[in-house]
Amino acid sequence: MNSPSPNKVLSATNLTVNRGGQQVLNAVNFSVAKGEIFALLGGNGAGKSTTLLTFLGFIKPTNGSAQVNGATVHSDVKAVHRQVAYLPEAANLYAHLNAWENLDYFLSLAQVDNSRESINAALDTVGLASGARVRQLETYSKGMRQKVGIALAILRDAPILFLDEPTSGLDPVAIDEFNAIIVGLAERGTTVLMVTHDVYGACRVARNIGLLQKGQMVGHFAASGDEQISADEVHRMFAEHHKA
Amino acid sequence: MNSAWRIAREEWRYWLRSKTATAVGVAAILLIATSLVTNYLRIDAERDARQQLQAVAEETFRNQPARHPHRMVHYGHYVFRTPAPLAIADPGVDPYTGTVMFLEGHKQNTATFAPGYTQALTGPLATLSPALVYQLLVPLLLIVMGFASLAREREARTDQLVYTMSVSPTTLWLGKSAALAVLAMILSMPLAGITALAWLGGESVVISFVFWLGYALYLLCWVLMITAGSVWQRRASSALLVLLASWLLLGVLLPRVASSAAEASLPLQSNVRNNLEIAKALRDAGDGHNSADPAFNKLRAQLLAQYDVEKIEELPVNYRGIIAEAAEKKQTEIINRFARRRVDQELAQASAANRFNLLSPYLALKSFSITTANTNLEQHHQFLRDAETLRFSFVQQLNKLHATELAYVDDAKRSIDASSEQRARIDPQHWRMLDGFESERPGVTARLTTALPNLAILVLWILAAAFAGQRGAMRTAQQTNG
Ligand SMILES: Nc1ncnc2c1ncn2[C@@H]1O[C@H](COP(=O)(O)OP(=O)(O)OP(=O)(O)O)[C@@H](O)[C@H]1O
Ligand SMILES: [Mg+2]
Repeated sequence: MNSPSPNKVLSATNLTVNRGGQQVLNAVNFSVAKGEIFALLGGNGAGKSTTLLTFLGFIKPTNGSAQVNGATVHSDVKAVHRQVAYLPEAANLYAHLNAWENLDYFLSLAQVDNSRESINAALDTVGLASGARVRQLETYSKGMRQKVGIALAILRDAPILFLDEPTSGLDPVAIDEFNAIIVGLAERGTTVLMVTHDVYGACRVARNIGLLQKGQMVGHFAASGDEQISADEVHRMFAEHHKA
Repeated sequence: MNSAWRIAREEWRYWLRSKTATAVGVAAILLIATSLVTNYLRIDAERDARQQLQAVAEETFRNQPARHPHRMVHYGHYVFRTPAPLAIADPGVDPYTGTVMFLEGHKQNTATFAPGYTQALTGPLATLSPALVYQLLVPLLLIVMGFASLAREREARTDQLVYTMSVSPTTLWLGKSAALAVLAMILSMPLAGITALAWLGGESVVISFVFWLGYALYLLCWVLMITAGSVWQRRASSALLVLLASWLLLGVLLPRVASSAAEASLPLQSNVRNNLEIAKALRDAGDGHNSADPAFNKLRAQLLAQYDVEKIEELPVNYRGIIAEAAEKKQTEIINRFARRRVDQELAQASAANRFNLLSPYLALKSFSITTANTNLEQHHQFLRDAETLRFSFVQQLNKLHATELAYVDDAKRSIDASSEQRARIDPQHWRMLDGFESERPGVTARLTTALPNLAILVLWILAAAFAGQRGAMRTAQQTNG
């Protein structure tokens, strides 16, 4: 069992969660340091999104705790929300608004810079065609919506990023661009907890990888540095656990 | 606070872009406008008709030729009840109780409707008063607009994204409620306009404002119940279902139960039995047309003794007139006794029904509305009493003339002797006994005092709904599993 280290930005300690009467997280332990990208891998229904939701304070753990900067999430959810940007699993933005209106609305709620210039700059960064920006999101493709969600997470300008399958739906060029963006953010001190199915992408950008299976943390690897694991190795372990 | 307004503005943008909202808006405008215009025109026409007819009725009575005074007792007179200024907003019991009375001797007639008030106008469209529209239909439109306000965000999980913008669940709930409250206030503006018209029509400015305020509180109550319903339900569709069921319960079923319970616990005696009882009591009291009726033996003996004469022909007053006066007095006492009993029963029943007001903001507002508008049952009773006072006064004046202005001998022989008949008529200048009829109405303080408990009930409901909404917002934001 890991004990929460004080210098960690995020730490899960024996994190146990029940949903719909079933245990979906079972004594999960991991931690993420400042400026680190932590990738959470695992099969469908493994509990990855649940982990993020618990860190966001939307789900209460039945046991153990999720901590942000040493404080238990549930003791002050608002304090957590002040420090995080969140990209939901299916980029949940408003279908009746266009990209610009969506970003303007959320950013004004967060009381951060919502000038048209900064919004356009972020949309340029994620590669959303400028012609699409004035169209309502209900006319967007999945990847286009995802780009707006990523733009929001960037513009939120928070020290902690929670990303749930950020590259899902993105074309290969957009994935490369996205990877470059979060590496850049992490280099500037942003802490990233990212759920993904993209094993190779995770190995490329993350410092650490956690492998979650049926609510349990079954593997914990360094994806950079000396003991760096290869993507093929991760893939193999993933498949093994999946069969088990 | 800023965030709440931003959320409210966003809700408005959502409405303005959705077709349902447009349809609901058009429906609201049509309903409110139709009810305002038709009700206003109807009441206005009625008021004009009544004012003119009242004058005509008085004129006609005054211009009768020389007649026997008892002919005038039966010629009778009409009184019309002028609608209260706020009847243009809430006609209250007026469409059911009648507003015209025929006044004549020995009889208390029931109120009827003014000529021109046709049955075709008493269909469902006639009762589409602004009061009904604001009491039942506007809340329904608010439900259609607001049932999804919070449930929609939760279904799409946009609420979680909003919370991560450092917006508290309370603020989100507040913003959605504010959006709907602004809509409710906009919808209440036509009502404010009509209360302003009532003010111009002679209603006190305080009452006009308080009347609108009551409705504003009522709509606010619905706004908060709607957002509470929306926040407590996981799905928008179930929120709609729950809210429609609440509307049905509070606005239709409970009122029905309240009046049925009042009727069952304090049944009114049937009109037929009432009338039979009155008829019997009147028969026992004696027929004022028949001076030989044994019921008046005592009075005759008394009169003969008083004037120290042997026969009624020798009395210095017309014995027939004295009998008519005494009989009228006796009959009126009987009639009034029954009328009071009826009124007491009706009031007891109404106040039994009012005990349910706490259970439904609709019932509280309805009571508040008719009391403040002066269109409640008490006002109708007051009209009946005032009409009766006038009836008794002019009938007794005629009976006095009967007793003092014509001789008993002429009176007794008038059907067999032409010259007696001529002498039994009295000068038409005596018919100038009627002046303008106005029924009394409670003033500002009296009405405010009666309105207060119902306003308090509305405030209680507002607080309860706000509490439920805020608690629901906190709860659903904390626990998305299950
Ligand atoms: N709203 C819910 N109510 C009840 N159970 C839920 C709910 N959402 C998820 N679960 C259950 O919780 C478990 C974990 O789900 P979770 O969404 O965390 O999986 P995941 O790892 O994100 O999967 P995926 O890769 O498919 O997104 C699953 O067994 C799922 O059935
Ligand atoms: Mg997931």
